[in-house]
Amino acid sequence: MHRRRFLKASAILSAGAAGAYALPLLTAFKSSPASARAASTKLRWGMVIDLGRCPANCTACVDACKKENNVNTSGDRRLDIYRIRKVTLESTLVAAPAQKSVPLLCNHCDNPPCALACPIQATYKREDGIVIVDPHRCMGCRYCMIACPYNARQFNFRENRHQPNPAYPKRQHGVAESCDLCAHLLDQGKRPACVEACEQSHANALIVGNLNDPSSEIATLIRNHPVRRLREELGTEPKVFYLGL
Amino acid sequence: MDIEFKQIEGRSKPFYLLTIALAALVLAGAYSTWMMNQHGLYLSGMSNRIPWGLPIVMAVFYIGLSAGSLVISSLYGVFGKLEYKPFARVATFMAMLLMIGALLSILTDQGRLDRVMVEPFLHFNPLSMLSINPFLYSSYILICTAYLCVMMVENEKWTKILALIAVLWAILVHSGTGAIFGFVPRELYTSSLLPPSFVAAALSSGTALMILVILVLFRLTKRPLAPKPMLWIGRLLAVFIVVAGYFVFIENAHRYYVAASRAAEHDYLFGGFHSVVFWVGLVFLGTIVPAAILLERKSGNSRHSIRRVACASVMVVLGVLCERYLIVIPGLSHPPGLIPGWMITQSAVEEGIVNYCPTSYEIMQSLGVVALVSLCFIWGLKLLRLLPTEAKGMSHG
Repeated sequence: MHRRRFLKASAILSAGAAGAYALPLLTAFKSSPASARAASTKLRWGMVIDLGRCPANCTACVDACKKENNVNTSGDRRLDIYRIRKVTLESTLVAAPAQKSVPLLCNHCDNPPCALACPIQATYKREDGIVIVDPHRCMGCRYCMIACPYNARQFNFRENRHQPNPAYPKRQHGVAESCDLCAHLLDQGKRPACVEACEQSHANALIVGNLNDPSSEIATLIRNHPVRRLREELGTEPKVFYLGL
Repeated sequence: MDIEFKQIEGRSKPFYLLTIALAALVLAGAYSTWMMNQHGLYLSGMSNRIPWGLPIVMAVFYIGLSAGSLVISSLYGVFGKLEYKPFARVATFMAMLLMIGALLSILTDQGRLDRVMVEPFLHFNPLSMLSINPFLYSSYILICTAYLCVMMVENEKWTKILALIAVLWAILVHSGTGAIFGFVPRELYTSSLLPPSFVAAALSSGTALMILVILVLFRLTKRPLAPKPMLWIGRLLAVFIVVAGYFVFIENAHRYYVAASRAAEHDYLFGGFHSVVFWVGLVFLGTIVPAAILLERKSGNSRHSIRRVACASVMVVLGVLCERYLIVIPGLSHPPGLIPGWMITQSAVEEGIVNYCPTSYEIMQSLGVVALVSLCFIWGLKLLRLLPTEAKGMSHG
C-alpha cells in the first residue's frame, strides 16, 4: 500500500501544480490587449497618405524615420529594418506604364493581429490607438511577424549600436519592432519624424491627426475624399488611409 | 497475464559509444544556441519575411510524433487491449520526451532567452495561440508523467483514468498547434481545417515512429516480439495515412478552387522547392507509396510483412516531416496581396516570393534537440522498467 499512498500524493501534487500554472490564465483575461477599445478616449491617432503629392524618388520620410528611431541599415535586403519603406507599384490590370510610389508602414489596426498573437503582451494597442511593441519585454518569438498580414513587423537580427538620436533608446538584438507613429514625439505634442520631414521637403503627403476630432485636417480629408485602406477585408480596421491608391 | 518489465542491459560498448556521440551532438546544439543568442539570429537562415524556420518545423514535428506514441499506449490504457500492454510504458515515455523536445525547440528558438522563463508568467496573454499552446504542452508533459507513473506501479484504475485524460489532452494539444498557423490571417495559413488535419498527420507519424522504435528495441535487446500486434498497428497506420491524405487533398483543392487563394496555391503546388517537397515528399513517398504497401492484401510470411510495415513507417515519418515543413515555410515565403491589381517592383527590402535555407547553426541546434531526446530515451530504458522481456501475441482479453 506504500505505492498507492505515493501515487495519491503525486496525483494531488501534480493537480496542484497544474492549478497554480493555470492561475495566470484566469487573471490575465482582464488585461487582455484585444479588449482595449479606443472609442472611449478622446485621442485616436491616424494617418492619411496622399499619394498624389508623394514624389517617386523622394525618401525623406524613410531617412528621417531611421534617424529619429536609431535604425541602422546595411543594405541587406533580407534583414534590414524599415519602419516605413517606399515601394514602387506597377499595375497588373492595364498595359500602360502605370507606376505609383507608395510608403508602407504599420497600419495601427484597431484589431491588431500582432497584439492578439503576442504571448506576453509586449505588443499592445495604446488607448490612443497606437500599436506599440515594448522592446524591454519582447522575448523575440516572432509570432507577431507571422500574424501581421502587412509584413509591417521587423526583427532585430543584429545588435545595433547606432544611436544618432540620444533621446530614443536603442534596441537589443532579438526583439521585434515596427512603426509606433513616433509615440514619444506625439506625447510631447510634436509630430512624427516622417510627417515633419515630408513637410520640410514641401511634399505634404503625410498627414497625422486625431480621428476622433471631427474638425481635424485628417478627419476632413477622410470625410471628403475617397480613401482606401490596405486589406480592409481582413477586418483589422487599419488607421492608415491612402488617398489616390 | 503478468508481463515482466525489465531495464535494458546498457553495458555494451555500442551503448556507451552511442551515449558519447549523442552527448557530443547535444553540446554542439547548446553551442549554436548560445552563439545565436549572443550574436543575434542573423546567424540563422531566417529573415524578416521568413521569421520562422527549422526549429519551429521540428517543434511541430515533435508534437505530432508525441500524439502518435500516445495512441499506441492508449490501445491498452483506454481500450484495454492487453496485447498492446507490453508497448504502453515505452510509448508513454516516448510521448513525454517528444513533447519535452518540442518545448525545447520552441524555447531555444526565442530571440531573448533571458526573458523566456520570466515574461510569460508575468504578462500572460490568454488569447495568444502561442501562450495557450505552451500551457497545453507543459500540462501534457505532466499528465503523461503521471500516466507513466501509475502504469509503472500497475494501478489499473488510475491507468484507465489518466490514459483517457492524456488522450483527450493530446487532441487539445494538436488542435492548438494547428491553430497557431490556422488562426493567422495569411493566404496559406488561414484554415479551420488545419487543426484536425494536424491531428491526423500527428497520428500517422507518431504511430509510424512507434512501430520503428519497438521493432528496433526488441531486435537490439534480443527480446521476442510476436508479429501479430505489430501488423495490426500497421493496419491502423494505413487508416491514419488515408485520413491525413484526405485532409491534405481537401485543403489544397479548396485553396485552388477559390479565386482568392489561387495565386498563392499555384505557387505552393507548382512554385519551387516546396512544390517538390509537396509532390515527391508528402504526396508520393509519404502518402501513396506507404498506403499502398500497407493496404496490399497479398501477404507472405509474417517476417516479410513486418519488414514492409517497417519500410512504410520510415516513409510516413519522413513524409510527415515534409508536411510540417510545408505548413510553416510556404505560407511565409508567399507574399501577402497588399494591394490587389498592383505589383511591387522596387523596394529596399525583400518583396515577392522569398526563399529560406537553414544555416549550419540552426541544423546543429535542431540535431542537438534530437540528440537530447534520444539520450534521455536510451538512458530511461536503462534506468526504468519500460520494456517487457517479451511481447507475446495473444487473443483479446
